Amino acid sequence: MFKKVLIANRGEIALRILRACRTLGVEAVVAYSEADKGSLPVGLADEAICIGPADARRSYLSAPAVISAALVTGCDAVHPGYGFLSEDEGFAEVVAAHDMTFIGPPASVLERFASKAGTRQLLGAHGLPTIPGSDGMLRDDLHALNEAERIGYPVLVKPSAGGGGKGMRMVRTPRELESVLKVCRSEAKAAFGDDSLYLERWLDENRHVEVQVAVDRYGHGIHLGERDCSVQRRHQKILEEAPTPALSEAARADLADRAVRAVVAAGYENVGTLEFLVDARGAFYFIEINCRIQVEHPVTESLTGIDLVTMQMRIAAGEPLGVTQSEIAFDGHAIEFRINAEDPAHDFRPGAGVVERYHAPGGPGVRMDSHLFSGYEVPPFYDSLLGKLIVWGPDRATAIARSRVALDELLVEGLTTNVEIHQALLASETFLEGRMTTNLLDRVGSAAFLAAAARA
Amino acid sequence: MPEPPPSDARRSERRATARDAAERAADHAAIDRLSADLLPALIAKLGATGLGELEVREGSWRVRLRRPGGSTGTGSSRDRRAGEKGSPDRPGERAPGERSARGHGHHSDSSATVKVDHRSVATSPAVGIFQPRTDLSTGTRVRSGDRLGAVDMLGIAQEVVAPADGIVGASLVEPGDAVEYGQELIVIEFVPVPASTNGSGS
Repeated sequence: MFKKVLIANRGEIALRILRACRTLGVEAVVAYSEADKGSLPVGLADEAICIGPADARRSYLSAPAVISAALVTGCDAVHPGYGFLSEDEGFAEVVAAHDMTFIGPPASVLERFASKAGTRQLLGAHGLPTIPGSDGMLRDDLHALNEAERIGYPVLVKPSAGGGGKGMRMVRTPRELESVLKVCRSEAKAAFGDDSLYLERWLDENRHVEVQVAVDRYGHGIHLGERDCSVQRRHQKILEEAPTPALSEAARADLADRAVRAVVAAGYENVGTLEFLVDARGAFYFIEINCRIQVEHPVTESLTGIDLVTMQMRIAAGEPLGVTQSEIAFDGHAIEFRINAEDPAHDFRPGAGVVERYHAPGGPGVRMDSHLFSGYEVPPFYDSLLGKLIVWGPDRATAIARSRVALDELLVEGLTTNVEIHQALLASETFLEGRMTTNLLDRVGSAAFLAAAARA
Repeated sequence: MPEPPPSDARRSERRATARDAAERAADHAAIDRLSADLLPALIAKLGATGLGELEVREGSWRVRLRRPGGSTGTGSSRDRRAGEKGSPDRPGERAPGERSARGHGHHSDSSATVKVDHRSVATSPAVGIFQPRTDLSTGTRVRSGDRLGAVDMLGIAQEVVAPADGIVGASLVEPGDAVEYGQELIVIEFVPVPASTNGSGS
């Protein structure tokens, strides 16, 4: 195991990694930007180092700054968290070149799975059904229009790099496609520094179901079940749960089994997530792989009792998995609510400012992963995630009942949060019956959805 | 403004002086061109690139643009400094374009009137290993923007610069020390400087 890990991230995930390091008895250094000087991970860390100004390009996204910080603090590993440099194979390579370990897949593996189109082809060859999409990256507008015609509208425009819904648009006509290409390119360029786009067929009524896998250096892989992330707003996940209400137990086992067999065969290593779209008939299509720890990993931790971050560190340190598929048990139901600094009354406009009072809910099955504290000033420079409320119950109904109590108890004063949308979801028949699809909130309109919940 | 061309008679009699005048005229023309054409372009460039600093040399003239707060750029370091002392008219508080065309005395501020307290601190522009300039010692007079040393960030030397005119005071870190971004490195003590002594141009 490592002696000292540099945590190259911020917010709740920096705190989560700090806790994992402590669990393993590993020293940790929190790398932070000037804007995060007063943050909880920095305050709780034994050691913290300022790596740059608020601008992420010169701090959390600066490979030289992060690696320099790791070197001068004597770290032997770097944990990138999610976002920022977490799936940057160039970064992983430079970390390794400085005799440190990148906690995630090795650079060669990241490179193999870097292109979304290439990964679909690769995993398709290893038995995963894939969604029809464009032949590689879109060269220009004409290529895009021709490919869209071939795939069939509606199509989803997606950036090759990154995630989180940035640069993504669903279009129903050639005219719409033409009008969004430029926006998507500039969004993708701004968010990921890469403006390549590709197309995917859009399934109107689809669910987003993803499979958590873990593969050690010795080719031993397991899956940790699936998560349903169908509750989305503009392609951003806002609530995740497991198991998925969309598939039978047999179908879930089949999906997870095929996913792990495909990634092991394709040479994946470390923890990762395979995302699928599931159509109304229950057919599933592989769309992409996330080569990192994900925001929603606690859902899986709640069901399996496995600490995914320490598992990720053990794998990166070269340890064998130490657990077989048959030893993984899935217990109960878990739901994660992403608590964002967003104003539902104003089109979910992100906010920033001082958290005047903060209280995290508690009780059986309730877990709050958050970097908030009373008096904390949320800086305006980064994403709006304030924390994650994860609620477990022996069954879905209990998890939902506990979630209602927990959401009511959660107190974040001074900032507007999206708690209202979660409360509306828990009052929505569609959600309660497990029938949410990825575009439902956008189709109905979040405002209409909130208003309907208020009437109910 | 460019001087009028010297008369034929004076040119023949005092060739050397004429040459000086011609050089001066060229310098003045260069300054005009710098302020009229080059500076706006450079300011735009600095704003667009996210670089901390740009320097252009032409003839004996040098133009260096640095973001407020030294080469560390961005509003946050500016805020930090402002927070420390609440003085609105420090060099670091000015717009990027104003820090320019060094080398003319008339362009410099009078330090004595600008500085409210009597010291300022050069901070680290990066996380890495600090090496001060070897010819620097306590008491060395420096100008705002002068290089005091560098922080090696993974082989990339990031300049540490004087945040203000003054003399070098205490070093807060040792050569070869690991430093973090924004860390205080070298104290610059302010000394009242008459504006006329600041000139170093032609």
